[in-house]
Amino acid sequence: MDIFIQLTLNGLIAGSIYALVALGFNLSYGTMRFFDLGYSALIAVGGYTVFFLSRQIGLPLPISILIGTIMAGIAGYIIYLLVYVPLRKRKASNMALLVASLGIFTVIQAVIGIFFSSQFRTLSGPVDAERIFHVFGGSITRIQVIILGTSIVVMFALAIIFRFTTFGKSIRAIGDSEEVSKIVGINTSRIIGYVLFIGSAIAGLVGILVGFDTGITPTMGFSLLLKGVVASIIGGVGNVYGGVVGALFLGLIENYGIWHISTEWKDAIAFGLLILFLYFRPQGIFRK
Amino acid sequence: MSQVRAKDLTKIFNGIKAVDDLTIEIRDGNITGIIGPNGSGKTTLVNILTGVIPFEKGSVIVSETKREKVKPFNIHAYGITRTFQAVRLFEQMSVLDNILVVLTERNVFSALFERHKIHHISEAEAILKGVNLWEKKDDNVERLSYGQRKLLEIARAIAMKSEIYFFDEPFAGLFPEMRKIVIDIIYDLKIQDKTVVLIEHDIELIRGLCDRVIVMNAGTLLAEGKPEDVLKDKRVIAAYLGD
Ligand SMILES: Nc1ncnc2c1ncn2[C@@H]1O[C@H](COP(=O)(O)OP(=O)(O)OP(=O)(O)O)[C@@H](O)[C@H]1O
Ligand SMILES: [Mg+2]
Repeated sequence: MDIFIQLTLNGLIAGSIYALVALGFNLSYGTMRFFDLGYSALIAVGGYTVFFLSRQIGLPLPISILIGTIMAGIAGYIIYLLVYVPLRKRKASNMALLVASLGIFTVIQAVIGIFFSSQFRTLSGPVDAERIFHVFGGSITRIQVIILGTSIVVMFALAIIFRFTTFGKSIRAIGDSEEVSKIVGINTSRIIGYVLFIGSAIAGLVGILVGFDTGITPTMGFSLLLKGVVASIIGGVGNVYGGVVGALFLGLIENYGIWHISTEWKDAIAFGLLILFLYFRPQGIFRK
Repeated sequence: MSQVRAKDLTKIFNGIKAVDDLTIEIRDGNITGIIGPNGSGKTTLVNILTGVIPFEKGSVIVSETKREKVKPFNIHAYGITRTFQAVRLFEQMSVLDNILVVLTERNVFSALFERHKIHHISEAEAILKGVNLWEKKDDNVERLSYGQRKLLEIARAIAMKSEIYFFDEPFAGLFPEMRKIVIDIIYDLKIQDKTVVLIEHDIELIRGLCDRVIVMNAGTLLAEGKPEDVLKDKRVIAAYLGD
């Protein structure tokens, strides 16, 4: 029984990380309509900015975290301005954009590797990880509580923005048709810029949270991005809430799946689930 | 005076000249009809004037400024709006949101946090009531009938509060009572001294509504002038109206 609760807790924590990734990725995919691999590099940008500021320079943690999140947002916005805006102006195909984003991923993770080495690092000191809470017979560390709380706050904030602001309506309109959005006077490049800033900042935040929970490497974002995308597909691509539910579902299945087998099977379980969904329910849980 | 003009405009699709060295002007405050056989380039012309497609040769003059390029986002700034021959709505959004999304102040910073205010909603209500769609305001637009979709797209154009309205076959496929609504909307724009451009196949509608008519044939200008003159023109009758 205790094992079950522990696996549920682990699943929810993993799921809330995937949910954040799926949310950020869906923001970008929903407006630009291509598979942005560069997104995964921004996860590492967040993590390493905090590593640099708090571990190497010694700034207080909250300030480092704030700057790390904003740095990732700015990096995402600059990439948009320098790479995607000109490419999209030239009506580059989705394949060209995908390759460009692969290039961005490669460059950023290489640069991080040059400055910080590709060695595994962790953001938290030993004390942080030890602060353990007990819930229904399972245990959860302080950082994991923060992960859950942060995900919930970000999700609610986004849900409110989506639902109640004209910004949210503009985002949905652009996702529906960028051309018609322009014709009705929506400043699409400005809105997409904002969206990418927010999505990239979320990526940065993910990198920071994961950095405290397990640790950082320059390529850490890649498998997280894949999980986020799997979650989106399971939930129903383009459906923001679907992505969140898909993420929790994925996190739980992954963790229940390793009950009697080794943890190395997690990824196999995740992608097995993806294949099942693509085969039997390609529209995801929530699509009509 | 004329806000929108095309000069020596040419558009080639796979070797076919859809618009062929065309020079026309749209007069301010007029209702201008564009007629011509299927495939004569009417929609292509409007697509060029509203920046939806680029053009090879010639120029478009908007508010006295000559342009070699017209971008969709800019047409709003030029005071131009349009509807499409094949209706284009925001399919994943409600009827009300399709109107609200164009009713914003569009400031750089408020764009993030601005919410729709009561006056936006009542404006949307008035517009939707004008096309009998207020009761459907919460429906997803995918659930509307063909005619309702057409009316909603026209309503969205009205919500833009532009100076120049391009309507690509707004009456096509509408029932008589819906046609009546669209006719009233167009007259209303005329009373407000707006400029309306109307692509239409129904000659009686053209005769009744338009101040001027432009007749296109194979991408070229066949005739232009007052409806009563143009519709009597022998070449127009031969090319378009039949015997
Ligand atoms: N996107 C496109 N690609 C290739 N050819 C096109 C395209 N759009 C229009 N054409 C061609 O250009 C010519 C003019 O088409 P257009 O749609 O402008 O005619 P139209 O006068 O609006 O006709 P209708 O009355 O049927 O709407 C046609 O020969 C059409 O096949
Ligand atoms: Mg046409």
